[in-house]
Amino acid sequence: MDKQLIRNAYKVYWLENGKAPVSVYALCKLVDVSETEFYEQYSSLEAVEKDIWLAIFQQTLDQLHADEIYQQYNAQEKLLAFYFLWVQKLKEDRSYLLLQRKHFRLPDLYRNKLETFRHAFNKYVSDLVKEGYQSSEIKERKYISDQYVHGFWLQALFVLKYWLDDTSNQFEMTDAAIEKAVNLSFQLIKSNTLDSLLDFGKFIFTRK
Amino acid sequence: MKEQSNIPTSKVERAGKFVTTGLKVGTNYIKHYTRKLMDPSTTKEELHQDNAADIYDTLSNLKGSALKVAQMLSMDKGMLPKAYTEKFAMSQYSAPPLSGPLVVNTFVKTLGKSPSQLFDQFDLQASNAASIGQVHKATKNGKKLAVKIQYPGVANSVKSDLRMVKPFAIRIVGMNEVDMDKYFDEIESKLLEETDYALELRRSMDLSRECAHIPNLKFPGYYPELSSDRIITMDWLDGQHLKEFLLTNPSQEVRDKIGQALWDFYQFQVHSLKQVHADPHPGNFLMRPDGTIGIFDFGCVKEIPEDFYENYFLLVDKEVLKDEKRRHQIYTNLEMIHPSDTPKEVEFFSGLFQHMIDLLTLPFTLDNFDFGNEVYFNEIYAYMDELYNMKEIRDSKVARGSRHSLYINRTYFGLYSILSDLKANVITGPARIQELMDARKTA
Repeated sequence: MDKQLIRNAYKVYWLENGKAPVSVYALCKLVDVSETEFYEQYSSLEAVEKDIWLAIFQQTLDQLHADEIYQQYNAQEKLLAFYFLWVQKLKEDRSYLLLQRKHFRLPDLYRNKLETFRHAFNKYVSDLVKEGYQSSEIKERKYISDQYVHGFWLQALFVLKYWLDDTSNQFEMTDAAIEKAVNLSFQLIKSNTLDSLLDFGKFIFTRK
Repeated sequence: MKEQSNIPTSKVERAGKFVTTGLKVGTNYIKHYTRKLMDPSTTKEELHQDNAADIYDTLSNLKGSALKVAQMLSMDKGMLPKAYTEKFAMSQYSAPPLSGPLVVNTFVKTLGKSPSQLFDQFDLQASNAASIGQVHKATKNGKKLAVKIQYPGVANSVKSDLRMVKPFAIRIVGMNEVDMDKYFDEIESKLLEETDYALELRRSMDLSRECAHIPNLKFPGYYPELSSDRIITMDWLDGQHLKEFLLTNPSQEVRDKIGQALWDFYQFQVHSLKQVHADPHPGNFLMRPDGTIGIFDFGCVKEIPEDFYENYFLLVDKEVLKDEKRRHQIYTNLEMIHPSDTPKEVEFFSGLFQHMIDLLTLPFTLDNFDFGNEVYFNEIYAYMDELYNMKEIRDSKVARGSRHSLYINRTYFGLYSILSDLKANVITGPARIQELMDARKTA
């Protein structure tokens, strides 16, 4: 009995019943395993749900790291490639995710279920940002650079939300949205616009 | 080439782009009149140049259909002030490319594999940008390939783009809005077709097979298994675009050979296949020093309806045109004369059209035609200019000319302008068409 199996069972339960399993027992009955076996892998149903997100993220990363071309990309292109592939992976579970959205107004009121995914994502992005410093794609700014990852997390949520609402053929509008969002974010943290803005803000507030 | 850092895709953002252009064009006019106040010798030429630059910048940023319209406008050289034409002509070659990951993503999405899995080598930098896609170089099994990839969201934006480009088109071409509607419908349907790469692939294969017997034409081979609705893979063709080719000073013999091949290609399609590669802008042809010409990009194919075909080519027949009544009938069929026209208007417009037709169809009526004859083209342009400036035409509220004539005219316009740049001497008589059709049967 591995984690993958339980995650799949959990999704199937949702898809067929339109709601979460009431208990671990109900879920285990579906795949015919004992509850003990379940608890060896997961401590609760909520943990399964969290892990679904993390697993999608992890699969995306694994595939990216195995890709030769990906290694040659700069930070911006890497992030682009990540989003494209991530959305691609999410597609496999779209029906499940749409159900989740309906029930929990994903992603707004759903943050706690994204917790483990968020930690992994932040780790990934902060590595990217460091890479960006070195290639001078990203400018290091005191105090503020530490907040970049949070900005990217919001961006990821934006992509997720856009994709969930996307009705275009092959989700091509999501592709366009990703391209634009990433370009914008990188332009902001690279250029001096942000500095000027901060400088201006500081000026206005300290004048008083 | 510099990669484009962002494409405005949402409608609001695109609209914003156009508004900025509108403002800029406005300022250009102010600049112009101020300069004129200071120095009365200032010409409009400079103003047009400023405007063209700003409008072009906007259009090339938007890519997609807006760029396409720019191309269409640039085709009809005579219709536009010179400065616009030159700037727009640039759009035929260059628009900034999109990011590598997006290219890879398109492959994975539509073909299930990444380019590095599908090809032995794949150049992630686009080698050419087209209006709705970009071209990458690749190799597989030792063969050089050209891979055309469509920008995401192009089909979605055709409609909103056209709506926004309309006011500019009206301004530039000087047509009224009612006139434009009919043509914009036609353009819209053609543009939507162009975004359908599966259709394009089918047509490319069909038409290049049908035309394979025409001497000196080279068509690339196509690879359906490496193509999808967003990707087309074909053989890489060597050769140069018209402008660069002319810089190499090809001999008259070579020019004639290429010119003849082009002429044959178009005549055969129009008269035998009744559908035609309706995008004869120089970017779609590659010319080679041995007098052959490579043709690709069958994205825009105009099918010619039978009754339109008949009426249109009756205009070439001198005998038919002598019959006043019959001629009037043909003009009406082609919607050049509107039922609501007064007899005076009928006479006025018939006169105009007849003169234009006589001019434009001159090559058809001769056995041989020298497209290097500048006098001939200058006469056409001068006449176009005259029409463009004619008050009666600008004030006319009705559409003149059937919607089908838009792409057919554009095709012949493009063909003529390439042949004229080539200064080719071409066998144009009707016997030549017959010959080609017979050759097809025996082939």
